[in-house]
This record gives sequence, C-alpha cells and structure tokens, in this order.
Amino acid sequence: MNQNKNKLIDLFIGNISNAIVHEILEKAIDIEEIRIKYNKEIITSFDIAKHYRNKINPAYKPFSSKDQVEIKKKVMNKVRNELQSRILRGYKNINIESTEETVDKFLRKTNIIE
Amino acid sequence: MDQIYIPKNRTGFPIGNYVIVTPVMSSLNSKKIEKLYFYGLKSLEPIKLTVIKEIFNIIDKKMENYGNIIVTGSFLEKGFGFNDIDILIISEEKANIEIVKEYIVNQIGIKPHIILIDNKSLIEGLSTDPLYLSMLSRCISKKRLIYNVKTKINYKLLDLQLLKSKIVIDNFDILSGNEKYYYLQNIIAIKLFLESKKVSKDSINKIIENLFKMSKDKIKQNLIDKKEFIEKYKQIYNKTFKHIMEHIGHESK
Repeated sequence: MNQNKNKLIDLFIGNISNAIVHEILEKAIDIEEIRIKYNKEIITSFDIAKHYRNKINPAYKPFSSKDQVEIKKKVMNKVRNELQSRILRGYKNINIESTEETVDKFLRKTNIIE
Repeated sequence: MDQIYIPKNRTGFPIGNYVIVTPVMSSLNSKKIEKLYFYGLKSLEPIKLTVIKEIFNIIDKKMENYGNIIVTGSFLEKGFGFNDIDILIISEEKANIEIVKEYIVNQIGIKPHIILIDNKSLIEGLSTDPLYLSMLSRCISKKRLIYNVKTKINYKLLDLQLLKSKIVIDNFDILSGNEKYYYLQNIIAIKLFLESKKVSKDSINKIIENLFKMSKDKIKQNLIDKKEFIEKYKQIYNKTFKHIMEHIGHESK
C-alpha cells in the first residue's frame, strides 16, 4: 500500500473503530429511556469512515484478502482496547464477545470485506 | 424633549431609519405585534429576526398542532458564518418534517435542521444531556419556555457522549475549526455537567478561553497551534473520561 493509501486507511480505521465502540457501548446502557439523543452532528464517526473509504481504491468492491485481514486486525485491536479500558475500570454489561460480529458488520457495510 | 423607548432586538428597523410615530391603539388594530422570547441573547441582527419570524409563520401554516418552536445553534451567533438553522419543534404528534424543511428552503433559501421532539423527551434530554442544556441556554422561542428540570447524571450516557469527541485526537488535520470547536464544546459541557455547574454557551466559552488561552472564534477559524491544542485537549478528555469511569466502576459494585 502506498503512503497516501495507508494514511487514508488509518483514518478509516480510527473512525470506524469509534463507531463500533459506540454501538457496543450503546447496548450496554440498560435504561431504554435515556437513549434519546440530540443527534446534531452531521459528521459522525461512521460518516467520516465512509468518506475515507470512498477515497480508497477499490472503492466499490472488497479489498484484497491480505488487506482485509490487516484492516480487520487493526480495527479489532482498537475496539478491544477501548472496551477493555472500560471493563478494567469496572464498567459492566459490555459484550466484548460481540466485537468480531460487530466489526464484520461494519466492515461489510463499508465494502472492506464481503 | 419627549423620549420614545424601542426594544433593542427589533425587526427591520436599524439605527438611523426614519419612522412614523402613531398612537398605540391604531397600530394594534391594524396589525398584531408578535412577541418572541429571547434566552441568553444580548442582540441579534434584524435580518435574522425577520428570518426567524418567517420560519415561525411557515411552521404555523404547515403544522396543525405543536407546543412550541425554538431556534438555536450557530444561526444565533454574531455574523453570518452559520451553516444551517437549528429548529426544535415541540409536538406530541408526529409530522412530516420533510415538507416543512422543503418549504423553508424554498421560501427562505437557508437549510434548516429540524428536530421534532415531544415534551417528555425534551425534559428527559434537559435532565440527562449537557448538550440540551447548552442548546437551550441561547435560543429564541415562539412561546415562553418553562422548564424546571432536575439534572440526573447517567455516567454511561455521558461516556457515550464523550466518545464522540475522541475523533479530534485522531483527525485533527482534517477537521474544520467549527468541528473542532463543536467537539471541544461537547467535552466542556460534560465536564460542567459532572461538576453540577451551569451549562451554557457562555460558561463553556469562558472555560475554553481560560484553558486554551484563545477565543472560540480563533478555534472556529482553525487558527490553532496543533501541538499545544492537542496536548490540552487530550488532558481534558482523559480527565473527564477518568471521572466518568470512576463513577461507572462504583455504580457497578
């Protein structure tokens, strides 16, 4: 991968990981009524991730197997670290087991994997 | 010499304009004067007031039942650097917001960002979400706002909200000044909320100015020293995160 592509992939990984952590943490909140939000931000982590994804070739088909493995590994590590930092501090109800499934879902949505 | 007092915030009536003085009763008979409610605003450009009144008229025509209309966000900031107009419509009934949006764009030419919310959700938001408090600390509404809200701190929710702001640490170079300000404002609002302090646009801006030694305008214009900014940003992010986690840990025991 060239330098520019690597930079875009890093930016993609940072943002998609944030979106995944957000989704897993949302499920850890046990009180339904507090989930209401003022979703003002037009640019969410997922939107930004999609923006970067569209700039990386191949834009409309999945990456090569080697890149798929590499990206998934990096996203998994980032998400797990973020979740672990909470679990270690006593945060309960985080379903860390759902990480891989959620990562796959997001990587599929962004055409990284099939 | 007799004096005439006029409101500071007035529509289409700038300093230096020639006016006709007429008895109150005849003016009231010819046209009903609509009063707006200002919160946390010292002044507003007359042209913006005209726009807000026009928006209220459009919503009034397009929606049958609503409780109140509130205009907030960057449109109320001094100058014309806003991207859209944030409008909150308080209503217990569902409505097709897209039609209202389209009508506003066609009539006024400014993109609205409309949120339709029922009273219960708004009160819930005001009691648990610092951004709601900040939002309503500077606004203009069609009817008087009467909300006596007791704040409830939910640390898991605040953790989620804080997570949004992490984006600046990884994406400093590509985010605009406005976006950096938005995410920084988010952290400061959470910090004030956690400390049970008043969450308002003014209190947030004061803290930003004290901590970062620069005005919000400089941040919005992206005139920022990256190294210095990121260092302070990380510090305040991590401190707030630690505070939230300590409480989540205690709650879970």
